[in-house]
Amino acid sequence: MKIKAFWRENNTLLSVALILLALSIFGLFSMGLEPFVRTTLSGFTLSALYFMVAAGLTLVFGLMDVLNFSQGSMLMIGAYAGWQFYTNPTFLFGLAPLVFALMAGLTMMAVLHPLVSKWRIPEQWQSRLRALLLVLAVVIGVLAVAGVDFRGLASTAMVATMVAGNPLAEATLQEPLASFWIRPLLLFLSGALIALAQARPGDSTVVVYKDQSRRSGMIVAGLLALVIVATLVRESGPLAVLTTNGNLRFVLALIVGTLVGAGLGAVIETTLISPLYVRPLYQVIITMGLAFVISELIQLLWDPLPYAMSRPPAFSQPGKAENIWAFFQGGNTTVDILGVTFPSYRLFIIALGVLMFVGLTLVLKYTRLGMIIRAGVQDREMVEALGINVKRVFTLVFALGTGLAALGGIGAAPFVPVEPVMGDRYLMQGFITVVIGGMGSTTGAAVGALLLGLARAFGDYLALKFSLSPAISEASTVIIMAIVLLARPAGLLGRRE
Amino acid sequence: MVEQDFILEVDAIHTFIGQFHILEGVTVQVRCNSITVLLGRNGAGKTTTLKSILGLTPPRIGRVLFDGRELQGKRAYDIAAMGIGFVPEHRAIFRNLSVAENLRIAERKKGDLERKAEFIFGLFPDLKRLYKLPGNHLSGGQQQMLAVARALVADNKLLLIDEPSEGLAPILIEQMMEAIRELSATTTVLLVEQNFLMASRLAQYYYIIDDGKSVHQGEMADLIHDEALVHQYLGASVRVEVGASSGRGGGK
Amino acid sequence: MSEKAEKRVNGKMGAPLGWIRQHWGELAVVVGLILFPYIFGLLSGTSVSQGATKFWQGQLIVMFIMAVYAMSYDLLLGYTGILSFGHAAFFGGGAYAMALFLTHVAPKVTDSYRIMVGSINIADLLMLLAGFLLAVLVAVLLGLLFSAVSSRVKGAYFAMITLAMGQAIHILSKATDFVDWTGADEGLHGVPVPIWLNPTQFRLRFYFIALAFMLIMYLITRRIVNSPTGRVFVAIRENESRVRMIGYNPAVYRSIAFVTAAVIAGLAGGLYALWTMSATPSMTSSALTINALIMGILGGIGTLIGPMLGAVLREFLGHFFYQWFGARWPLVFGVLFILLVLFLPYGIVGTWRLRRLELRQGWQRFLRLFKPEKE
Repeated sequence: MKIKAFWRENNTLLSVALILLALSIFGLFSMGLEPFVRTTLSGFTLSALYFMVAAGLTLVFGLMDVLNFSQGSMLMIGAYAGWQFYTNPTFLFGLAPLVFALMAGLTMMAVLHPLVSKWRIPEQWQSRLRALLLVLAVVIGVLAVAGVDFRGLASTAMVATMVAGNPLAEATLQEPLASFWIRPLLLFLSGALIALAQARPGDSTVVVYKDQSRRSGMIVAGLLALVIVATLVRESGPLAVLTTNGNLRFVLALIVGTLVGAGLGAVIETTLISPLYVRPLYQVIITMGLAFVISELIQLLWDPLPYAMSRPPAFSQPGKAENIWAFFQGGNTTVDILGVTFPSYRLFIIALGVLMFVGLTLVLKYTRLGMIIRAGVQDREMVEALGINVKRVFTLVFALGTGLAALGGIGAAPFVPVEPVMGDRYLMQGFITVVIGGMGSTTGAAVGALLLGLARAFGDYLALKFSLSPAISEASTVIIMAIVLLARPAGLLGRRE
Repeated sequence: MVEQDFILEVDAIHTFIGQFHILEGVTVQVRCNSITVLLGRNGAGKTTTLKSILGLTPPRIGRVLFDGRELQGKRAYDIAAMGIGFVPEHRAIFRNLSVAENLRIAERKKGDLERKAEFIFGLFPDLKRLYKLPGNHLSGGQQQMLAVARALVADNKLLLIDEPSEGLAPILIEQMMEAIRELSATTTVLLVEQNFLMASRLAQYYYIIDDGKSVHQGEMADLIHDEALVHQYLGASVRVEVGASSGRGGGK
Repeated sequence: MSEKAEKRVNGKMGAPLGWIRQHWGELAVVVGLILFPYIFGLLSGTSVSQGATKFWQGQLIVMFIMAVYAMSYDLLLGYTGILSFGHAAFFGGGAYAMALFLTHVAPKVTDSYRIMVGSINIADLLMLLAGFLLAVLVAVLLGLLFSAVSSRVKGAYFAMITLAMGQAIHILSKATDFVDWTGADEGLHGVPVPIWLNPTQFRLRFYFIALAFMLIMYLITRRIVNSPTGRVFVAIRENESRVRMIGYNPAVYRSIAFVTAAVIAGLAGGLYALWTMSATPSMTSSALTINALIMGILGGIGTLIGPMLGAVLREFLGHFFYQWFGARWPLVFGVLFILLVLFLPYGIVGTWRLRRLELRQGWQRFLRLFKPEKE
């Protein structure tokens, strides 16, 4: 009885497992052990990457019905940010004060709210004042960044990879503090003006929350402190980072890449996505446009070239480790697994993917946010009716999704080329993953990623055998998507409408 | 009548869903610590009225005052957080969450559930037994109880309950009625109910909504004796049992 | 405006004159475009087939082709409410079909058969027509393939699947396996276009062909949009379940819209291949799909004129943006596009149509001030 019930509840997963098992036995005997293990491991690596893109897609779509077409670009941004930080963080350090200053200005909204809502302004002047403030903010913002040598800053890491010897040689290409200090100040002003416009001066119908404005005040203070710190360490920071231990630097790069992705996601959700919930079609269109902008921007900053990021020292000691334990001591480039020589860094990616899946599952199962997400996937309106600030949850979840993709990007950077087409490529694979797994399900995304990754790896193997290019196997993953769509339009584990 | 007597005042609201004009002037006033029922045929706009109060389908014209505060232009979660609990129709609990999580998610402050647990399990003893089960394992009646219980976790000044008796067995209806009567001792209830018998026994005040307009209002005690009115707006199928106890029982 | 004109015209004037009156705006544009090379030549002092005149003819040819491409996309997005992100596949499919045919098949045929009529080799012409037919065929097949796979999904989900499929086509167009045929990353260059149609030698001739192509395609698309089928498209956009209730099968009609748009885009792609004498992977890339979106949103979706205007504007501005901003000028369009979606979602034509009503009402209110009250 129990077995029957178990089967009924998990039949999809079990069938997939059975089919995989059958296929792998077949593969094992027809391919031989060595190629089989190698291909399987490569497949797992790809699976991990696909999962990192797909997890955010499926979470965001499940909760908010928003399909983020810039998810691939988020992976790309993560890769670029991590690569910059690891190779030469001058660019990031140069930008940080400006970004923090703008953020601090924008956060002023809740602080300004209680003050300005009492102003006595005639109604027809309120909207004019808002327009005026916005124009002023844009002018000041443009003035603030005019003349910043973004391309020069961005080129520091390129130079570092090309010079190949000493990355420190180009580490400090920052504007002197004497002329730089005005920029964060102006940007803060610009952000504050936008916040002032958003706070709707004179509009007394707006609800004012005292405790919220107090909390925002603290956030503003924190951000301003960050601005000052970031301005001061602008020149010394990159050097300090570059002289730290490579492994530590890599961990920092992972964190920075993730934060950049998550922060960008939060900004995108609040500025671009949330005004368009009434026009869902335009939401999709705007994320598509955003993907285009990001890819163009990246080509502007770093030229349309592929870059290779070096692996952190923990994975780059010459020689082959006899087993996993030996690798932990030696930090070798390759590890011997069942007689197969496999790059150790790829094992790290697999571990990262598994860790992400486990972490995400735990968050969904045991935290309040996870509970709200699971509830919201089923009935968003009711979550709202319980008094839960869904707007903030949406922003958080969107940021979580883009952050995961960015983490995937920086994780992938040391073994795939960092290039502007990354966005499109991983977007497509992420989409196929969620179509296979079913929208709205994290487990589905994991299963889809597993299937797709293995399919890609074995596809590549077959393509090589028949002397075809890997492009053929990449393109033919679409066939898997088509089959799943025709057989089960909701995907393997998706909601059935 | 002094204004403070009403916890909720809905003043001639018009609500559109898409291009459809659903509510064309609904006025409802809910007295503090009472049970008020919205009556009307299917599709008259009762559910939309509840959703308009809560801001889920914000009214385009008219105004809603809750606790003396204007709700115009607020998001649903802000309105709910002001102290309105909502029990939607069709027992819309979160089926993929456990009973415990269904209750936990309704907390507005940490510890709400612990504080209210005794009260809630007093009303619905079944839920204590089912505490760990996933929502989709519950029977229809249990799901309905959970939906009501969920609205009780936070401190709500007003409960909007949509068709609590829908699809329930008679004995469960009786139980549900008892629970609503008991909980109304501490809060105000605005009820939508098709089951006229249940409505007439629970509520003190009624509003009749027809074709998106509120057409009639008064005290329940008067309505049960006005068979013609009941017949006109609520259909022939409703039989009024004169003599059924009206209004709240022991309660207060 | 046209309605008013219609009323005035009916019965009072002869048919041809009335027709001209009714469509004077469109006619003026057409006549202007026909005369453009000559007028521009006169103004700039260069001959019709040289210098700046020739250059701007080229710009306009691209505008015409892109206008048709944008229009085909609008048939999907603006009229049927289908969000497809694989549209470049049809354009590129048409372009590759034409280029491959002219490079690998046509020469074998024309080498062995020569049918001369005057100075023109009819075999060349026939091969050209066959190329267009092949482009149509490829577009139809691709359209059917896309709609077969995605027939059961809608909205953003549909967009996602079409993007994945379009991306797959793009990857195939870059695949090194077909390098002998397609030139892989490089693409096909130096496609043997019939001599009498060579876009550099006979630019003016090509200009008129492209103009005629755009006009014909516009008339055909307008005919489709105004036909009963076109009305079903619009009904699907507005309320699909109601269309189903009336008794039409929305899936069938969406497929029809899809294939029609694919064919129009394929034809535009075919002509574009002739114009550039090449077919490259950039013609199947998602950037080209986004271009269709940009042109549509810029001009205003749901109107045929809008996307065409958008295409013209995009190419025109692109020319200057390239001079001002360098190689990454599409970035400007991307940012502009996002701002448009946020603040001007109905585009130029759509917003104008919305505002026109307001303006007219305002004008009438103004006039009413001076009218004596009738009492």
